[in-house]
Amino acid sequence: MNVLVHDAGPQTTVQDLGRRGSLRVGIPPSGPMDREAFLLANRLVGNADDAAALECTLIGPRLEFADERWVAVTGAAVPVTLNGATMPRWAAFEVEPGDVLRLGTAASGVRAYIAVSGGIDTPAALGSRATYLRGQLGGHQGRALRKGDVLPLGPPSGGAPAEVLGQFIPDYTQAPLARVVLGPQDDRFTERGVAALFEAPYEMTPQSDRMGARLRGARIEHTRGHDIISDGVALGGIQVVGDGQPIVLLADRQSTGGYTKIGTVCSFDIGRVCQVKPGQGLFFKRVTVAEAHELLSAHRAELDHAIHWEETP
Amino acid sequence: MGIYAEPRFLPCGDLALSVELGDDINREVNARVLALEYLIQQKGLGGVTETVPSYRSLLVYYDPLAVSWDELTTSLRALWREARPGVLPPARTVEVPCCYGGDLGFELEAAAAKIGLPAEEVARLHAAADYYVYFVGFTPGLPYMTGMPERLHIPRLVQPRTKTPPGSVSIGGIQCCIYSVESPGGFWVLGRTPLALYDHAAADPILFRAGDHVRFRMIDRAEYDAIAAAVVEGRYRPRIEVAPQPAPTTPRAARTASTPKEQRA
Repeated sequence: MNVLVHDAGPQTTVQDLGRRGSLRVGIPPSGPMDREAFLLANRLVGNADDAAALECTLIGPRLEFADERWVAVTGAAVPVTLNGATMPRWAAFEVEPGDVLRLGTAASGVRAYIAVSGGIDTPAALGSRATYLRGQLGGHQGRALRKGDVLPLGPPSGGAPAEVLGQFIPDYTQAPLARVVLGPQDDRFTERGVAALFEAPYEMTPQSDRMGARLRGARIEHTRGHDIISDGVALGGIQVVGDGQPIVLLADRQSTGGYTKIGTVCSFDIGRVCQVKPGQGLFFKRVTVAEAHELLSAHRAELDHAIHWEETP
Repeated sequence: MGIYAEPRFLPCGDLALSVELGDDINREVNARVLALEYLIQQKGLGGVTETVPSYRSLLVYYDPLAVSWDELTTSLRALWREARPGVLPPARTVEVPCCYGGDLGFELEAAAAKIGLPAEEVARLHAAADYYVYFVGFTPGLPYMTGMPERLHIPRLVQPRTKTPPGSVSIGGIQCCIYSVESPGGFWVLGRTPLALYDHAAADPILFRAGDHVRFRMIDRAEYDAIAAAVVEGRYRPRIEVAPQPAPTTPRAARTASTPKEQRA
C-alpha cells in the first residue's frame, strides 16, 4: 500500500542510511542529515535501521495513509497532528486507512523524520533509496516530494507501542558541542588559527544545505594560503577557505576538494550539528582519534538503550 | 619532490584516514594511490568501508569498532609496499568526441588570445594529446586529467563562472577537465562533448574511471548534434578500448584476447 502526499513542505526527501562505494566516482552517500533521529524513528516502528523514511526540512508535509501502519516522528520540534488531534513525537502510534498526518513548522531543530512501518519502498539507485538532489538520484524520482506524489510502502513488519526515553531526546534550543579531530591539514593553520576554532561559538548561516554547514565566527588563520592539491573530503571535514570561515561538509558533500581542512567533526556529533538553525550557535571541542573512538563506541551502545517498549516486541 | 619514503597517515575524524603517498601531482605517485586502492579491494581489507582516490592520497573510510587505527595503518603500510602500478588491471582508453569553439566552446577564442596561438591551432594541439585520468570526483563523474602540451598551460579564469554546461571540455593550469553536471567553474571552456559523463538513469552512471586514458576526437557541429541525439535515446555506445597487458610474461594468445572493444552498458 502507499502514502499520498497532500502537501510536501519545502524540502521533504526519501532517505535511507545512504549509498556506499560511489564517492570514488564523485557521488556522495546522501542519507539522513541527523542519523540518530533517523535510526530511532525506524526502530520505533519496528523497521530495520536501513529502511527508507522521510526527512523534512523546517516545515513538514501533510500525508494520507491507505492502510494500517505504525508511524513515528523524531528530530526537529514540529507540531504533529493526526486528523487534527495532537500526537507525540519520539513515539510510535498507529494510523488507519484515510488518516491524515500533519507536521507543522519546527520551533527548534531543522530536520524531522517520519518513519512508517514497512519503510518507503521507492526503487533503489546504486544500492540505496537515499535521495541525492543535485544528482537527481534515488529517492522518489531523484527529487524532493511534491503535492500529489504517491509513495509505495513495503510490507509492514508489525509494530508495538514504543517511545524514546526522555534523556535521549535532544534539546535543540541549546547550542551543541561538536567534537573535532584535528587534521588532515591542521599544519596549514597558525597556532592562533587552531585556537580560534575551539574558543568561541560559531553561528550557523542560512547558506547551509545538505552539502555543507556554512558557519560564521572568529577568523581561522592560515599559515600559507588555503589551496591544497585536491584530496578526498570525509564526512564532517571542516574546510576553511580564504575568508577564514569554516564549512562543515555533510551527507551530500563533494567527494574531493582543493581547500585546507583544519579538522573533522566526529560522526556521532554530525546529526546534532545538522539540527542547528541559522542564527543559532555551536561549540567545537578538540578530541584525539583514540578519544573519538571511545566516544563512538559509547554513543552506539547508548542508542541501543534509547527506546522503551511497552510490550516486549 | 615526488614519492615519500613512507606513507603519511592523516586523521580525518573518527571514521576515515587519509593515506598520503607524495607531495605533488605526478603519475607515478597517482599510480601507487590507485594500486593501493586496488589491493585493498582485492584483499577485502577488514573494517574498510569505502575508498576515495585523489592525486596523491587515498581517503580510507573504516569502522573503528571493527578495526583499530593501529591495525589498519599496519595493514595499509604492508599493502603500500606491494602497491606498484604493475598490480593494476590494464588501463582503458576512452574516446571523447569534442566539438571545439563556437557557442559550445565559448572560451576557445579568448583562451587562444591569452596563449598567443590561433584558435584552430589550440583546438588541434588539445585534441592531439594523450590524457590521463588521476581520479574522478568533486561532482559525479568529473575526470581530473593532465597530458596537455606545455604550450597550452594557462592560468585559471580570474572570475570563475557560476554555471558551466555539462560536457564542457576545459583547461586550467596544467589540467584538463570535463564538467559532468552543471556547476561553477574556473577553467577555460574550449569545446563540448555530447557524451554523458553522469547519467543518473543508467545502471552504471559514470563514464570515466581513475587511471583511464582519454583521447579527444574533433567533431563538427552536425556530428555533435547527431551523437547528442543518440545519447539521449540511449543508442550511442562510447568507444572504450582496453590496453594490452604490459607485463612481458603474458602469453601471446592472452595478449591478443585482451584488446576487446568494451561496450558500456
